Amino acid sequence: MKKNKMYGVLEDFIIQNKESHYRLAYSYTKNKEDALDIVQESILKALNSVDSLANAEHIKTWFYRILVNTSLDVLRKKGKLSYVEDIVLEMNSEEKVDIYENFDLQNAMDNLPHHYRLIISFRYFEDLKLEEIAAILGENLNTVKTQLYAGLKRLRIEMEV
Amino acid sequence: MEKIRELKKNYEDVQIPEELDFVVRKAINTHKRKLKKRSKKELKWASGVAAAVIILTVAVNTNSSIAYAMSEVPVVGKLVKVLMVREYMIKEDTYNAEVKVPAVEGLENQGLQNSLNEKYLAENEKLYAEFSKDIEDLKAAGGGHLGVNSGYVIKTDTDKILSIGRYVVNTVGSSSTTFKYDTVDKQNQILIVLPSLFKDDSYIDVISENIKAQMRQQMKEDTQKFYWVEEGDISPFEKIKADQSFYISSNHKLVISFDKYEVAPGYMGVIEFEVPTEALSNVLVSNEYIK
Repeated sequence: MKKNKMYGVLEDFIIQNKESHYRLAYSYTKNKEDALDIVQESILKALNSVDSLANAEHIKTWFYRILVNTSLDVLRKKGKLSYVEDIVLEMNSEEKVDIYENFDLQNAMDNLPHHYRLIISFRYFEDLKLEEIAAILGENLNTVKTQLYAGLKRLRIEMEV
Repeated sequence: MEKIRELKKNYEDVQIPEELDFVVRKAINTHKRKLKKRSKKELKWASGVAAAVIILTVAVNTNSSIAYAMSEVPVVGKLVKVLMVREYMIKEDTYNAEVKVPAVEGLENQGLQNSLNEKYLAENEKLYAEFSKDIEDLKAAGGGHLGVNSGYVIKTDTDKILSIGRYVVNTVGSSSTTFKYDTVDKQNQILIVLPSLFKDDSYIDVISENIKAQMRQQMKEDTQKFYWVEEGDISPFEKIKADQSFYISSNHKLVISFDKYEVAPGYMGVIEFEVPTEALSNVLVSNEYIK
């Protein structure tokens, strides 16, 4: 596809999906300004690197990947995210599942390591396939599956993945 | 499944701010403008570099005493110039780096010239090394997008003053823009640092208060502008650093510069404030540079 045409496709995609992108960014930051910032940065990065989008069919996962990286970056810069991410610490420590007396679902979701939260959001709120999530995060399918299970388990949700 | 539905509802109930549409369109337009600008700029760089190379080659080839004679010319100011001496490039599918290293030429004060040039080279070598390492790390982790663009602009070049700004923009995989300036007095051959312009430390408060007033005024006049200046903002701007980035404009005004994210959300970009000279009259050492 010609570069100009790809630009057009990307622009349309960006405008049509801005609300989804904002919601995902907001689920990271819980803050309007930061979320807007992430959306804006992601758009600029996407437009700058349109060359790396070889196939318009991959536009969704490709853009989400940029969005995820930008979110991590903004959070890191604001000191809201430590460099060794929660998930790494989790994996290195023994598994434990916190049991709350008064189980507040949204609260539990917000307190999940962001990686788990992200996978759950992608799978159930944005209706992405596990394969697509794996592509976005650059992980293999089994890892994503395991992490999705682990996240759901934390929320005490039993379901078929 | 009930729980997921509940969470999904919360997720979808997040209010979409009115600014979203504006922010999205602004980003798209910014990019379009940048593309236009960039194609012009690249052309200019290319010819500038070629010209510099020719001059040097000719000078060296024809007569070695020319170089010597040049340093003897009394009006030094006109001969001081900034050249691009080195360029690093990486161009791979998802990794892009463009690092341009400036150097100052023609200062009689060799110590000053060398220390500036060594600093520029070291800064950029470090940047390039870090970027290369980031790429390796990212490749090992499965790939991704990264880009860095570094270069320089000449903010002011008069008979007296030379202000060089160096910028670093992380275009992909990160999102910061930083600007650093050096301002040289070409006639006296000295580097001007911010504290040296003022009688004592009180300039910090004087400038900070002036900038805060400007921030508030701008926000009042234009609702698209936003600075972290009010109590209750995450980390409100309190005062400038003693060595805050600054330059002196060609009409002799002090301009204070803030990096992206330093005092405002990222969409505001790199921010500059010109401080009116009247506001500084009580703290300036003299009106030699700032009028």
